[in-house]
Amino acid sequence: MSLPSRLRGIAAVLGGSILLLLGALASPPRAAAETMAVIVHPDTPVQNLSFAEMRRVFLGERQYWNAETPVVLIVRAPVAPERQVVLDRIYRMSESQFKQYWIARIFRAEATSTPKVVYSNQTINELVAAIPGAISLVRADDIQPGVRTLKIDGFLPGEANYPLR
Amino acid sequence: MRFLMSPSVACCRRVACAVLLVLAAAPASLRAQTASTETIIAGAGAENYPSLKIRGFTDVDYVSSDSAGLPQGFQLGQFVLHFTSPLARKVTFFGEVSMSPLADQFHIEVERSFIRYDYNDLFKISAGRYHTPIGYWNTAFHHGLWLQTTVRRPEQVKVGGTFVPVHFLGLLAEGKLPSSGLGLSYAAGLGNGRDEVLSRDGDAGDANTNRAWLAQLVARPIRAYGLEAGGAVYNDLLPLAGQPSVREWIYSAHVVWSHESPELLGEYIGVRHEPQGTSSSFESRSFYIQGAYRLPGWANKVKPYSRYEQMEIAGGDPIFSFPDLQVVTAGIRVDLIDVAAIKAEYRNELAEGAGRWNAVLLQACLTF
Repeated sequence: MSLPSRLRGIAAVLGGSILLLLGALASPPRAAAETMAVIVHPDTPVQNLSFAEMRRVFLGERQYWNAETPVVLIVRAPVAPERQVVLDRIYRMSESQFKQYWIARIFRAEATSTPKVVYSNQTINELVAAIPGAISLVRADDIQPGVRTLKIDGFLPGEANYPLR
Repeated sequence: MRFLMSPSVACCRRVACAVLLVLAAAPASLRAQTASTETIIAGAGAENYPSLKIRGFTDVDYVSSDSAGLPQGFQLGQFVLHFTSPLARKVTFFGEVSMSPLADQFHIEVERSFIRYDYNDLFKISAGRYHTPIGYWNTAFHHGLWLQTTVRRPEQVKVGGTFVPVHFLGLLAEGKLPSSGLGLSYAAGLGNGRDEVLSRDGDAGDANTNRAWLAQLVARPIRAYGLEAGGAVYNDLLPLAGQPSVREWIYSAHVVWSHESPELLGEYIGVRHEPQGTSSSFESRSFYIQGAYRLPGWANKVKPYSRYEQMEIAGGDPIFSFPDLQVVTAGIRVDLIDVAAIKAEYRNELAEGAGRWNAVLLQACLTF
């Protein structure tokens, strides 16, 4: 391969990378500006939660929907915008505090496991649809068939006064 | 051949290769995610029992003091292993083993070992050996030194201490109470109570025919996220060799604000001893208040803290033989990484009859 052609290849790769980077910088994190939805398995015997009750569910203080259905928490892995919303709005914790919180809960025998961590909203939808009692938080635009959206404080995503915007 | 290829053809070939690489990588990524999904779904089902998870806690300390009676220099802390193992959909085993360094050996202790059945949030029942749910510190931190902000525990729940029974062997019912926004939870226990060796909990059988009982009520108000307030009462009959038994009542109250900016802990424990066959009683009490503040911004790894604690023992108490105590502690905790921290602590202690002494303690603690 000649030097000019090699340089053109490198330039193309660099150019593409810079364009991708600029694109990423130009568009803010999607979840930061968009509505989040709390989704549950369709058989979950709850239609509406107050924001405070939802926090208790995510904190692991409410562990059963009813005697037969345990709560199964699913959260996005670190760095995902949805994860940030969960930490900032619901837990009000940093990543370190979140980790310490769950280690402490298990140490105190208040929980048997940490929330299940997944890497995409696609997977969250699949898991919530498949696991009875599952609950998670995704961008409202990413909700797929097979899951049910919970009302929070009586409101669904997109309605006025919905608290997770 | 490739030397005859035009630059545009070479460029197209590179793009095609890149596309092929991406296409080859994408199914691998999807396979990994699918496998992960299947693993999580299987983990949420009933096929993975028992499912043992182990977590460890340990620490290394350095102590320098002007007290002749205090061990100095480097000290290895407890090596603690905590076990959690769901055995069935609603049944879980919890265990904890500590290894503590002594002068000539390590002392191994089963700190906790109990099996619990969860009916729902309102009712869970378990049998085994627990950290006694009196006060806050004893169940919140206990052997997990990395979990607590300070180097040392308060004197009222110190390792090997006898002010309160830190372990409890028996049955424990616990759960939430329907309480609207108060977030009430309860614990009620029946067990052996203290042994003739006060720091023991009758692991091989009760020392008398009287069973100890306890009840605890804790509130975590929904509207005050981070606030916890609670109280407990404990009753036992303590056997004394060659003397009448002593009825023991323990009362505790605590208020905690668990967010770290600020973090506030306050706890009071009162112990009343009533020798049987007499009308006399002896009231001892202990309390501490602790404050800490995780600094903001770039300094958020750092958390300075301070604690004041006081213990007053009733004169002539038939059970307790330790002195009144005042302890002032000030220190700084630095969380080096998410699961390890170093702490530096100054401690000033005034013990009745033993005078005042000072100590500087350094600690590296972690969970693994």
